[in-house]
Amino acid sequence: MTTLIERYVQEVVRRVPADQRDDIAAELKGTIADTVDARQSTVSSDAAEREVLTEMGDPARLAARYTDRPSVLIGPGLYPAYTRLLAMLLTVVLPVVVVVGAAVEVLDGGDAGAAIGGAVTTIITVGGQMVAWLTLVFAAVERWAPGTKLGTWTPDQLPPMRAPDDKRSDAVAHIAWHTLLIGLLVWQSTAGSVSTDSGERIALLDPALWNGWMWPILVGLGGLVVVGVLRLAARRWTTGLVAAAVVAELVFAAPLAWILYQQQFFNPVFVADVTVHDDFYTLATIGVVAVAAYEIVARLRTLRP
Amino acid sequence: MGSEGLIAGQVQELRRGTVVLACLALLEKPQYGYALLETLTAADVNVDGNTLYPLLRRLEKQGLLTSEWNTDESRPRKFYRVSPAGQRARADLVREWNNLVAAMAVITREDL
Repeated sequence: MTTLIERYVQEVVRRVPADQRDDIAAELKGTIADTVDARQSTVSSDAAEREVLTEMGDPARLAARYTDRPSVLIGPGLYPAYTRLLAMLLTVVLPVVVVVGAAVEVLDGGDAGAAIGGAVTTIITVGGQMVAWLTLVFAAVERWAPGTKLGTWTPDQLPPMRAPDDKRSDAVAHIAWHTLLIGLLVWQSTAGSVSTDSGERIALLDPALWNGWMWPILVGLGGLVVVGVLRLAARRWTTGLVAAAVVAELVFAAPLAWILYQQQFFNPVFVADVTVHDDFYTLATIGVVAVAAYEIVARLRTLRP
Repeated sequence: MGSEGLIAGQVQELRRGTVVLACLALLEKPQYGYALLETLTAADVNVDGNTLYPLLRRLEKQGLLTSEWNTDESRPRKFYRVSPAGQRARADLVREWNNLVAAMAVITREDL
């Protein structure tokens, strides 16, 4: 009996219950030796040993076969429940936790940067914990109660037929556009988006707006994003969603048009360097009003039977 | 996977259940693991050692086989033999096998 075979047998039997260890070890040694003997006529003893052990395969897998233990972390009986729970945790519970965390940060007087940083940290740590613990619990059930099936499926659980959503990409584009606008507004203020002639980084828009009109604009944009997400989930425009979208559009566009019309739009420091022609304000105001009107009409048209 | 690999996989699926029946049939005469593997291979029932040896122990645990250590020779060997319960199980499986063969013969008849 060579050490290679003994090492293999040891690796197998240390994974089986103690009362079967000696018996399995003795039988396995004999069986492997028989197989090696039969091969020795064609190849050397060492080569035959390696060949036979390679064919027997991973000791952990062989031990699992001896003990009837499943070689899977989460088997087919638990898998559907596992994926369903994981999806629910990550798409429903995690966003709620993130939003609540960010809200608490803002209420505590934190700025937008701290809230976003906190949200990212929450996604990684809480999301990671959710995946880890759920997997651990399911793997434990699989290991100690193999063959468990969670919940019996009935046809009642079938979701209703989903109406085809042909305006889906349109809705996604709207969400992306409004999110981008929010990001640009915050970024131009916090990061200093333009340089003055003296090389100083300043906000493009008038910082005084943050004491007034900037807030309804941001609230309106945020409302449009929320409405867009709800519209995606509902797969169609409902009367309530249209009403909310029209209100959000007005809350966003009316103050924007007003500050453009009043020429309170740009940072005075910026305007000191660059001449902004009066026609720009007129055209921009008309543009904002026109786009908002188009959007509102488009929303209302979706309600036509 | 090519069509040949696919067919090989299907053949393996078909043969999987036959190993137990073959063991219950062959172990009317006591045999040890490696000798049984040789007999099965010679009879064109292909099974790997790492499948057969745990299977024998499982059948023994289920009461379909009995075992006995033979220490007469220099290498001690565990001999398996079919138990009365194993013989009953074999009779059931043989009946099921014959039913399957008859049913498959009808289903796969060329002139259907």
